[in-house]
Amino acid sequence: MTQLPSILMGKTVSLVSRLSGRSGSTWPGHAALNLDPNFVKRISKKNPRLKIVLIAGTNGKTTTSKMISEILEKQGLKVFSNQEGANLLNGVASSLISHSNVLGKIKYDAAVFEIDENSLPIVLENAKPFAIILLNLFRDQLDRYGEVNIIAEKWQKALKDLPKETLLISNGDDPMLSYISTKSGLDSFHFGLPKDKAPNSKQTSDVDFLYCPNCSEKLEFENIIYSHLGKFKCPKCNFTNPLIYSFDTLPNPLLGEYNRYNINAAALLLTEGFGIGLDAIEKSLRDFTPAFGRQENIRYKNKNIFLMLSKNPASFNQSIEAVLSKEKFPSVLLVLNDRIPDGRDVSWIWDVNFEELAEKAKSITVSGDRTYDMALRLKYASSSKSQISNLKFQIKQNLEQAINGTISRLPSNKTLYILATYSAMLETRKILTGKSIL
Amino acid sequence: MNTYGDRGNILALQKRCEWRNIGVEIKRLNVGFNPKHLALCNLLFMGGAQDTQQMIVSRDFSTTNITLLKQLVETNTPGLYICGAYQFLGQYYKEANGNKIPGLGILDLHTEHPGENAERLIGNIIADSPLGKLVGFENHGGRTYISDKKLALGKVLKGFGNNGKDKTEGIKYKNSIGTYLHGPALPKNPKLADFLIQKALEKKYGKIKLKTLDDSLEQKAREAVLKDR
Repeated sequence: MTQLPSILMGKTVSLVSRLSGRSGSTWPGHAALNLDPNFVKRISKKNPRLKIVLIAGTNGKTTTSKMISEILEKQGLKVFSNQEGANLLNGVASSLISHSNVLGKIKYDAAVFEIDENSLPIVLENAKPFAIILLNLFRDQLDRYGEVNIIAEKWQKALKDLPKETLLISNGDDPMLSYISTKSGLDSFHFGLPKDKAPNSKQTSDVDFLYCPNCSEKLEFENIIYSHLGKFKCPKCNFTNPLIYSFDTLPNPLLGEYNRYNINAAALLLTEGFGIGLDAIEKSLRDFTPAFGRQENIRYKNKNIFLMLSKNPASFNQSIEAVLSKEKFPSVLLVLNDRIPDGRDVSWIWDVNFEELAEKAKSITVSGDRTYDMALRLKYASSSKSQISNLKFQIKQNLEQAINGTISRLPSNKTLYILATYSAMLETRKILTGKSIL
Repeated sequence: MNTYGDRGNILALQKRCEWRNIGVEIKRLNVGFNPKHLALCNLLFMGGAQDTQQMIVSRDFSTTNITLLKQLVETNTPGLYICGAYQFLGQYYKEANGNKIPGLGILDLHTEHPGENAERLIGNIIADSPLGKLVGFENHGGRTYISDKKLALGKVLKGFGNNGKDKTEGIKYKNSIGTYLHGPALPKNPKLADFLIQKALEKKYGKIKLKTLDDSLEQKAREAVLKDR
């Protein structure tokens, strides 16, 4: 019964913050953890039948978690998730509070939580997960996280302390994640893409793990799918991809081959962890619609807009590839912010390949807090031998003006592709839909 | 070595040459590179790296390569060394756990990490220099101390610089520049880029005058950092 005060406290804070018009996604958990630092540990112990699934990785967390939740729900399971952006321990705590009764009982079958890279260790220590998915690990918000290797080390340490029966679903095309999961001693399964199906793209500048995590020798890549994902082998110690599962008969309801990784991760968890058949997964996937801001179609002033969250080099490169696969000469708006959720350091845009987009796009408009950083990046991406002679990009710092100006020039049968960093995506969405989500 | 968009520096050097009809060839000197290729270079660049990558590069640097690089630096070959590379060219790097890793010993400086619990030095940085105000983003745990403070590349106006204490940022020794500036450094500091290009050409061909480029976009991007003070 020690739990009662923290639950009541959490529920009260939740009510108060909702009444005062604040978004209540982390406050209740924060209050409960203040009262009882072991709150999450206790409440998950009290609900042993609740299957907690944690999803971590740089890109694809929201999409994968939405897929899993929807498919589980279609199977008749009662499922809940943490709110968008509330992916630290206090967000998990808040979500547990709002889905439990005052006695701390949670009458759900599964909880699917997306977890911030940095917070995975502390969440693992507290919530006893049924399964963990490690999607990928790329350079992202280095001002917050320091180095990618530091995150990898933290994950490795945290996984070692888990009960051996914990199900681990990990990316077998990522050298570092393959290494971490095979060394973890957990019940691990790997997803990936088959090499004959995957595009054989060239090495890009958004790569982080090119050296063997086991012996530091340079890895040989037989095939690169994107960034540092692919079929690798160490010439010195023979470290190579583990056995990989890929569900090639499943449909891809989203744009871009990179989403196949999210689909395969979800399918591997659903088949191995929940015993759901591929037919059922296929059926649910056919109706899948993207999470907000992730390849979201929005009608605005009678024009089509396609909004894509693009938040780090790997994700931006994949967005560009997806846009170019959909349209040969696209109209594009790039929005770059440098607030806390975007990362304060905008250096990373120089690791994105804008060259092809700069050449092919029909028009490019740039906007956001760091408009001129993006403009400068495009200037140096242009293939023109003479300096800024016929730059085809427009510069509009004010986002609303940028959107409206671009839209007014857009033919009515065309789509405007908006690629935006996190806070820029939220801002864009607010302008387009007239309401804010967070 | 490349993190934090450091390859933008290469792009800046390449484009600013091309826009002036100056031919450029970029040679990537990867682990196990041939010293002959290093000897041929007119301008050198080394980016930042994560600790493990730096270890790999460090092990790869043979005595031949160190001597050669030192000779190039001493004979005024221009070069830009960012963050990890800047530290690497110094005498040593003392890790958070006290472990001392020897550097290449080419520049008279050393770096110390004050310990696991010390804050990283992170944020926008502005430094005043003979090449105008330098702007960028710094993100480093190590604190660098240069032996001769007169050799500092600039004086810190905002941010931390070499060590967060003595207001120095980077080093300028002959035509070699060591700095903590990411951002990346050269696109947003075109005068620094042109300094390196000019020195490379002068060493090869004698006195020259670089054609002026339109840097109005560069100026606007600089303002985003400058006005943030």
